[in-house]
Amino acid sequence: MGTSAATSGATTLVRTRRRRLNRRALAGYAFVSPALVFLLVFALFPFLFTLWVSIHDWNMLTPIGTMPFRGLDNYRYLLNEDPLFRQTFKNTVYFTVGNVGLSVILALGLALLLNSPIKLRPFWRAAFFAPYITAPVAIAIVWRNILDPDYGLANGVLAQFGVPAQPFLSGLNQAMPSMIAVAIWQGIGYYMIIFLAGLQAIPADLYDAAKLDGAGAWTLFRSITVPLLRPTMLFVIVINTLNSLQVFDLPYVLTQGGPVNQTNTLVFYMFNTAFKFLRMGRATGMAVMLFLVILVMTLIQLRLLREKE
Amino acid sequence: MNARGRIAPARVGRGTLTYAVLVIGAIIMILPFFWMISSSFMTSQEILARPVVWLPAKLRLDAYRALPEAIPLGRMYLNSVIVTTLTALGILLSSSLAGYGFAKFEFPGRDMLFLLVLATMMIPFFVVMIPVFYLISKFHWINSYQGLIVPNIVTGFGIFLMRQYMLSLPDEVLDAARVDGASEFQIYWRIVIPLSTPVIGALGILAVVYQWNNFLWPLIVARDANMWTIPVGLVSLQAYASNADVINMQMAGAALAIVPVIIVFLLLQRFFVSGIALTGMKG
Repeated sequence: MGTSAATSGATTLVRTRRRRLNRRALAGYAFVSPALVFLLVFALFPFLFTLWVSIHDWNMLTPIGTMPFRGLDNYRYLLNEDPLFRQTFKNTVYFTVGNVGLSVILALGLALLLNSPIKLRPFWRAAFFAPYITAPVAIAIVWRNILDPDYGLANGVLAQFGVPAQPFLSGLNQAMPSMIAVAIWQGIGYYMIIFLAGLQAIPADLYDAAKLDGAGAWTLFRSITVPLLRPTMLFVIVINTLNSLQVFDLPYVLTQGGPVNQTNTLVFYMFNTAFKFLRMGRATGMAVMLFLVILVMTLIQLRLLREKE
Repeated sequence: MNARGRIAPARVGRGTLTYAVLVIGAIIMILPFFWMISSSFMTSQEILARPVVWLPAKLRLDAYRALPEAIPLGRMYLNSVIVTTLTALGILLSSSLAGYGFAKFEFPGRDMLFLLVLATMMIPFFVVMIPVFYLISKFHWINSYQGLIVPNIVTGFGIFLMRQYMLSLPDEVLDAARVDGASEFQIYWRIVIPLSTPVIGALGILAVVYQWNNFLWPLIVARDANMWTIPVGLVSLQAYASNADVINMQMAGAALAIVPVIIVFLLLQRFFVSGIALTGMKG
């Protein structure tokens, strides 16, 4: 009798606990479901839809059901028959390598300078960071005017030093380097701040101990700063690579892809293919290929990050 | 004494070099802003003058007067403010709700659903741009605030950031509130949100900067001038680009877009920097 009462007491306890757990679980679903429904509608479904469109021919005006199936024709066309796709791919890689390489070196250099005991640190930090928060479109309009070969400030200043006028954004060989320069100018402050945070996270006693052992500045940098900063470095490279591969605002405002497609980038070309020429099949094909490039690069870089840690 | 004497000159040398590099760098960073503001008050003759004239002879407001006739400036500002504010609020609300759900509740399928959220972080916007545009057009949201705002109010990154932060909130506090009979939503609103202000601030700043500067999506969705945001409207000035007469107008437009942001940034600099350090290192 006594035991059965105890058992039934225990079961009610378990039952109420389970009911409470169920209520907790329901609350959990309630908290996450609005966001999940959104992600389903505006990210996951569109992602699958992009894959679907890329194996069809579609101009966005005809009903979805009537799209003619094209298999891998869009991909085949882009890879084998479209010189402009190859060109924009090359341009995008050029832009990314130039921007990432130089930004990382310059931002790290600046962060090291700002991490040393200097006066007016907030002023320097603000000066280098300010371009990052300004609208890329607005600041690109300013740069377009500064770099204009005929009436731009840049050639005006060069003339004062006796340097002949440069074509900058309208020069076949200078257009992309000019665009990279603007991108570096705009992004360097952001990466500098991240490097600064990384540098400040390195414990000062490591340096003190090494100094006691008679290590010089270069040894300190090589054997303490570089290894401990590696995660930050990889983070900066990953983020900058992802952003650079998707560059759109700069070619749109600075050059419209010119001269002769020298600064035409993948996302800019994709935008024109989709919204000027209404070739959604080809545009989504480009999107899928660039996505695969980005995915592979991210996975490689994250793997590297994990190995080093 | 001797050692100090030997180190001092080297340090002075390195110090001067440091400052020289910083000064040159800062000039390169600030000069475009200076020229933007200065030339927005100039005549086109002054802008084209050689040798370069650095300051206008007289503060002319011609460009600022001509600008509202070329583009709907007030409307662009209003649109940008509405779109940025509502999008940022949407991101904060959706991210904090979902982040809290993933951080502090156990339910079947939770880890798989969170993986799904992480997966959406790997999908850049350009990949889904065409289908999202198609959806928006089916909703008849082209050229509307809904079209500009709704697709952007949930981000995988925001949910991830909130969840990481909220994992560290003490369970005892939440349980104590439950014992006191608070509902789950009250706990979220009265306890979790106030305890999460640092991460809400960081995500809020990022969301505001991102939306204020966002260009590609508004360029596609805002078809008519009355729905233009600031970047889209500024780009329409480019139509005059070959004409040297409108440089001062382009510079005035850029200045009106940039200067308010710079002022806000200078006032809130500390929060920007700590926000970026926080989100950067967690990402």
